[in-house]
Amino acid sequence: MQTAVNEQYIEFGIQQEKYAIRIQEIQEIVKMQEITPVPSMNSFVKGVINLRGKIIPVISLRRLFDLPDAEYTRSSRMIVVYHMDETIGIEVDYVNKVTRFPDVQLPGDQVGSVTGRYFAGIGMSDHGLTGILQLNDLLLQE
Amino acid sequence: MQSEYRELFLEELDEQLEVMDHGILKLEQETDKKEAVQSLFRAAHTLKGSSAAMGFESMKLLTHEMEHLLDKVRSEKLLVCPALIDLLFQVLDHLKLLKMEIVEEVGGYTDISSILLKLQRFEDEFFSIKKSSASSTVRNHGVKPKLDQADWMKVTEYVQQQLHVHWITIRISADCLIKGARAYIIQAGLAETGEMILVSPDAADVEEHTDAPLDLVILHACAMDAEQLMEYLSGYTDIESAYVEPLQPEEIETSQSQSQYEFKNTNETSAPVKSKSQTVRVSVERLEHLMNLVGELVIDQKRIHQVEQIQKRRFSDDSVKELSHISDHLSRVIGDLQDSVMKARMLPIEHLLNRFPRMIRDLSRDLGKEMDLIIEGKETELDRTLIEEISDPLIHLIRNAADHGIETSEVRSACGKSPKGMLRIRAAHEDNQVVIYVEDDGAGIHSDKMKDSAVAKGVLTRAEAEALSDREAVELIFRPGFSTASRVSDVSGRGVGMDIVKSHIEKLNGLIEIETSPGQGTQFKIKLPLTLAIIEGLLFRTADQTLIIPMSNIAEIVRIKTDDLILLRGKPVIRLRDQIIPVSRLEEHFHMKYTETSLKQQYSLIIAGSAEKRIALVADELLGNQEIVVKSLGQYIGKVPGIAGGTILGDGNVALILEISSLINRREKSRMQGGLLDERQRA
Repeated sequence: MQTAVNEQYIEFGIQQEKYAIRIQEIQEIVKMQEITPVPSMNSFVKGVINLRGKIIPVISLRRLFDLPDAEYTRSSRMIVVYHMDETIGIEVDYVNKVTRFPDVQLPGDQVGSVTGRYFAGIGMSDHGLTGILQLNDLLLQE
Repeated sequence: MQSEYRELFLEELDEQLEVMDHGILKLEQETDKKEAVQSLFRAAHTLKGSSAAMGFESMKLLTHEMEHLLDKVRSEKLLVCPALIDLLFQVLDHLKLLKMEIVEEVGGYTDISSILLKLQRFEDEFFSIKKSSASSTVRNHGVKPKLDQADWMKVTEYVQQQLHVHWITIRISADCLIKGARAYIIQAGLAETGEMILVSPDAADVEEHTDAPLDLVILHACAMDAEQLMEYLSGYTDIESAYVEPLQPEEIETSQSQSQYEFKNTNETSAPVKSKSQTVRVSVERLEHLMNLVGELVIDQKRIHQVEQIQKRRFSDDSVKELSHISDHLSRVIGDLQDSVMKARMLPIEHLLNRFPRMIRDLSRDLGKEMDLIIEGKETELDRTLIEEISDPLIHLIRNAADHGIETSEVRSACGKSPKGMLRIRAAHEDNQVVIYVEDDGAGIHSDKMKDSAVAKGVLTRAEAEALSDREAVELIFRPGFSTASRVSDVSGRGVGMDIVKSHIEKLNGLIEIETSPGQGTQFKIKLPLTLAIIEGLLFRTADQTLIIPMSNIAEIVRIKTDDLILLRGKPVIRLRDQIIPVSRLEEHFHMKYTETSLKQQYSLIIAGSAEKRIALVADELLGNQEIVVKSLGQYIGKVPGIAGGTILGDGNVALILEISSLINRREKSRMQGGLLDERQRA
């Protein structure tokens, strides 16, 4: 996955940490709705929702990054991505803005407490650092 | 027999006849005939092959001769001429008559011998005429008029008087100023030489002021032969070309019989034939899509209904009444739509059952056993996906019955049974379900033998085996890795059969039951839903979640008090009519949090079953049953044990559909592994 400097991203966050996903990979952003829990092998899969008649899975970035679950707030959102023929919802604490990064650097082995392979790069801007998510490794892990 | 192929064949026949229709017309009209001849040849060839395969002898013969003739034309040994076109049209008409016979499934009232003769003779006769009329270019643009009964009587009369009857086709050149008059003169002349039977067009109807040449077709009887007639005609001026063709005596008979059929066509057969051919082939994908859309409508309708209920409680104004009327009507229409779409996806089970006679034939040969196969209820319709899915389990059951069920002739005779074994497959609709029985009159299953075998294979201990009832012992057959046959045969394999059959059927929301009496035979009963896409489900709440169990899995619902629970090896069970049924909490299965309500004094227990096994599930609240549209949870979530899929409820939320068979299996597994698994999970 390429991380060109001039690409557009959607920036969102969990607690104070900022992350981004390439805008092309995002299908839509929806408000939180009731999630039906599904007993699953993967603890980060929270359950399923009804997205206009289609049942799609929702995963939790918090659980993926070993953060405790939090109450939903008015700013909680689901970022719906379309990846490898699958529509998947990712729940996040808030969605910030559409942005570009003047500089993108390669991630290290660890980004904070999280493994580096979840990231395609680190976006550098005047407002700080943003982890650009690598959907392939993030979603299709065993 | 072969009726699925019959439909295919008829479809192809329709197509090819249409190709022929076009082809012959093209052959007549276009100057470059190569393409038309080629397509006609191909059509004839195709039909020859497929009609031979289907055993329609007349059609095969006819298309064979047609092909032969067309091959001559293709290699330019034969020129395209009006007589050939006529002949081809006649062949086509005969083919259409034959088609009608096949559609109506009545045999052989169309006599093709005369048309065959004509086809065979055409070449020779054509050449002789061509020789005789060498002086004039043979071109016939006039269409022979149809003869009515009176004309035919005349023809027969003249033939009996030893007169030659000819079709005379004359083209009066475009330069002729008064074509009608010229035609009249020619007719008058011919009338002097013999008898005019028919003239077309009538001289009075001739349009004078056109620049087109006039084509005159005359059926004429006289003492002269074709050559003499040609010579006679060459005496007239203004004739651009003339063509004389003797009327074949066979034509008299065929045309007479043909006219009868044509009469019949217009009255009876044409209508049903039309409706038969008025089908459109639709890809399965489109049907699936349609089904999905209907599914969403069903869901939305449920939501509208809910909103309407809420509105009704709040307001009592006319618009709310109106809304409820609309909602009622909508639900009826959607219901009908759902039915229709479902029907469009249904096929008769025949498609599947027709494979079996051949299979039984081969099996009896391979096994050296004699057996008859009886198939009943071929016309029973079910969802096409189900037909595909049920095929493997059925094949397995039949092989098993043939291999293990039915005894050899010697054994049978010794038992006082008929030496020939009987295998019966029966399909029927039983209250909104499809039931398929596979029965044999073989040895049956001995429960003692099953117990011994289970002990020998280490599936059960002797004590466990002895504790089983006869029924339970027989049901050991559905255990993984269990096979009663003392020897392994090619036919039914290595005992991987029955458990796979069972799990396969249950995946389809179906049930399989076994009924056996030693020495008299075994009956397997498979119950299947009509469709996989929409099921009737029971909605209930437990662990703060709405869940659904397919109605086909539900045996009954009971209310019990906490005191009714018995602890057996530390696990709760209930006793229901002498059956011990394990009580299960879904929270345990899915490792969910217990809710407050789970500690009530009274429980609703849903007794759900898969085969003869039962499980009692604790329900906090029963919400009633409704039709639900089954949706997959998607590849990403994949297969979750105990969950068959999901559906979208009236409130827009997703509810999970339970898979009872896998819940029971999981429970059994954990029972076998004892507390060990629990320990590990807690850790």
